[in-house]
Amino acid sequence: MLDSLCIAWKYIKFNKIKSATLVGCITLLVFLPLSLELLLDKSEQQLMSRAVTTPLVVGEKGSALDLIMNSIYFGDEVPELITYEAAEEIIDTDLAMPIPLYIRFKARGFPVVGTTLDYFDFRGLSIAAGSSLAMLGECVIGASVAERLGLKPGDSLLSAPENLFDLAGVYPLKMKVAGVLQKSHTSDDLGVFVDLKTSWIIQGLMHGHQDVTKTKDRTVILKKTEGNVTANAKLFQYTEITEENMDSFHFHGDTSQYPITAVIAVPHDARSGTLLRGRYMSSETAYQIVKPEDVIEGLLQNIFRIKNVLDAVIVVVGLATVLAIVLVFTLSLRLRKREIQTIFKLGCRRATIARLLGAEILIVGVASGFVCGALVFVVKVFANDLVRGVFIR
Amino acid sequence: MKFVFLKFILRIMMITLTMLPSFSIAGDKLTIYTVNYPLKYFAERIAGDYATVVFPAPADVDPAYWMPDRRAISEYQKADLILLNGAHYAKWTEKVTLPRFKMIDTSREFKDRYIKTKEAVTHNHGPGGKHAHENIAFTVWLDFDLAARQAQAIKIAVIRKRPDLESAFEHNYAALKKDLMTLDGETKEIVSKINGKPLIASHPVYDYLSQRYELNMRSVHWEPDERPGDAQWMELKNMLQGHHAQGMIWESQPLSETKEQLKSLGIISIIFDPCGAVPEQGDFLSVMRRNIENLRGAY
Repeated sequence: MLDSLCIAWKYIKFNKIKSATLVGCITLLVFLPLSLELLLDKSEQQLMSRAVTTPLVVGEKGSALDLIMNSIYFGDEVPELITYEAAEEIIDTDLAMPIPLYIRFKARGFPVVGTTLDYFDFRGLSIAAGSSLAMLGECVIGASVAERLGLKPGDSLLSAPENLFDLAGVYPLKMKVAGVLQKSHTSDDLGVFVDLKTSWIIQGLMHGHQDVTKTKDRTVILKKTEGNVTANAKLFQYTEITEENMDSFHFHGDTSQYPITAVIAVPHDARSGTLLRGRYMSSETAYQIVKPEDVIEGLLQNIFRIKNVLDAVIVVVGLATVLAIVLVFTLSLRLRKREIQTIFKLGCRRATIARLLGAEILIVGVASGFVCGALVFVVKVFANDLVRGVFIR
Repeated sequence: MKFVFLKFILRIMMITLTMLPSFSIAGDKLTIYTVNYPLKYFAERIAGDYATVVFPAPADVDPAYWMPDRRAISEYQKADLILLNGAHYAKWTEKVTLPRFKMIDTSREFKDRYIKTKEAVTHNHGPGGKHAHENIAFTVWLDFDLAARQAQAIKIAVIRKRPDLESAFEHNYAALKKDLMTLDGETKEIVSKINGKPLIASHPVYDYLSQRYELNMRSVHWEPDERPGDAQWMELKNMLQGHHAQGMIWESQPLSETKEQLKSLGIISIIFDPCGAVPEQGDFLSVMRRNIENLRGAY
């Protein structure tokens, strides 16, 4: 058998291009469905694991998919806004821990996630470098954000204006990077996390400026009465929060009416969860409560319907490739007719010739197996990132 | 044989060691951080030995205007519970990041009873409309009935954290409430003797005391350790024309010169320590009893 393998190897080496094409065809034929299966499994795992670990999400009535994609995967589609009061209402029920989310703004292309410190505990996120959020105007960035933007604790990051043409809009906020999160292979790697109040500052709802009731600079005052001072557009608003100007930051009105996009509700137990869901079933409430698992399951069913079509296409293509390979070998046998006759005349039996051809097929098959295995291994190693880059975001 | 026995002993020791942390967690004390001394006192009374209650502000700083450093903020973040006074007290809590679910606003239940002071000047600019840096009186604990309600909020919070200790917490709260209600009764009794006589507060921190016990009180803005200026004396004299007060309530002992000058105007100085910071001597109850005695002595 070794002799046959040796002769087959010599033949393959001599016909490099033909052999490489065969190896490539077989490799692709096996690699494509395997890697697709792997990536889909991983994406299902990622989508579902995040959905399963997020018990309930409360948001404005409307598209549940938009709400979940924005709240859990920081999708670009911003759902209808609700007020912070929704989170306070959940506290009042004493049925769940509310984690408010305000995911609307961007910083250098990455979503700014306005939330509370409870979010980090809830997701089990830990700090890899620097420290957690402490002061207004600070941010903690995901591992991928730090990697792609080359940021480290102590650096700063500018929030992006929502609309480039809104000249009268709010100035971007220069946020200080307080810390970098440990890589989690989830959407959290791509988030710029800030305190909810900082996201309200980005929106301009909370701001800092010189005290207009005490200032001596009359050029910033438009009108002054006993009970009210009206400042003009010259009034400079701080675009960076420092220890010196922090005291001047203040809210406009009642914070319970400030906007958020959603609230993650973490029920104290299963019974509390059911009771909480019951409260939002009434048609009178302006909010909807959704179980992310149900929404993502629906989404995955659609994805897998598409996957079935893809599988069918791969089967047809695979069949065509197998036929092509058979054709290649048949044509190859015809081309090698004189060579086979020479071997036969030298005294070899038909079985020996069959063994020689079998050895060639075996070597091509094994080589394809190795290449395919190596490629699948690479896909497996980078599956989390590939899924995040190709499938989910 | 010896070796086998040694291995067995080692294994037993390892199992015991791995089990140790779970035992210590079950018996762990709660860590409670507060933003002022009265809340620390209430929490200590209610949680007793089951909690370590920390109020990290230095004794010589008014906790209402204190700003903790990064290290102190980090300590607050790690606590099991953070007790807030509410009523915009300790504004620093609005400017730092604290875990929302650990924060207990002890006066949230009686928000409608907050007293708005008249000092606010509104300002507006841009499209946001008019807004005011509204001043809300924050020394809610000087109304002992409200103080008891703050204590109740603390009781609910600690029970939620340690439901297994509910009966102990309930028992401790009942004792604290009884003490606070005794203070309430004593204050009412003394105030009935004052019988609507005008009083002046040296600092606008007695709004809740004044409202609860129906004191005929008006405020100036004097500091006990500073000599009042001519304008401040003038303001007082103008006030006295329509408000014939014979007593001025101080947070702490005023300068002897000020005291004498007030005496010449027929005004005696009465110390009523709001006790926002940790007292040098005694505790919340003893300070409040002393305050009540000071009031009793003056009338």
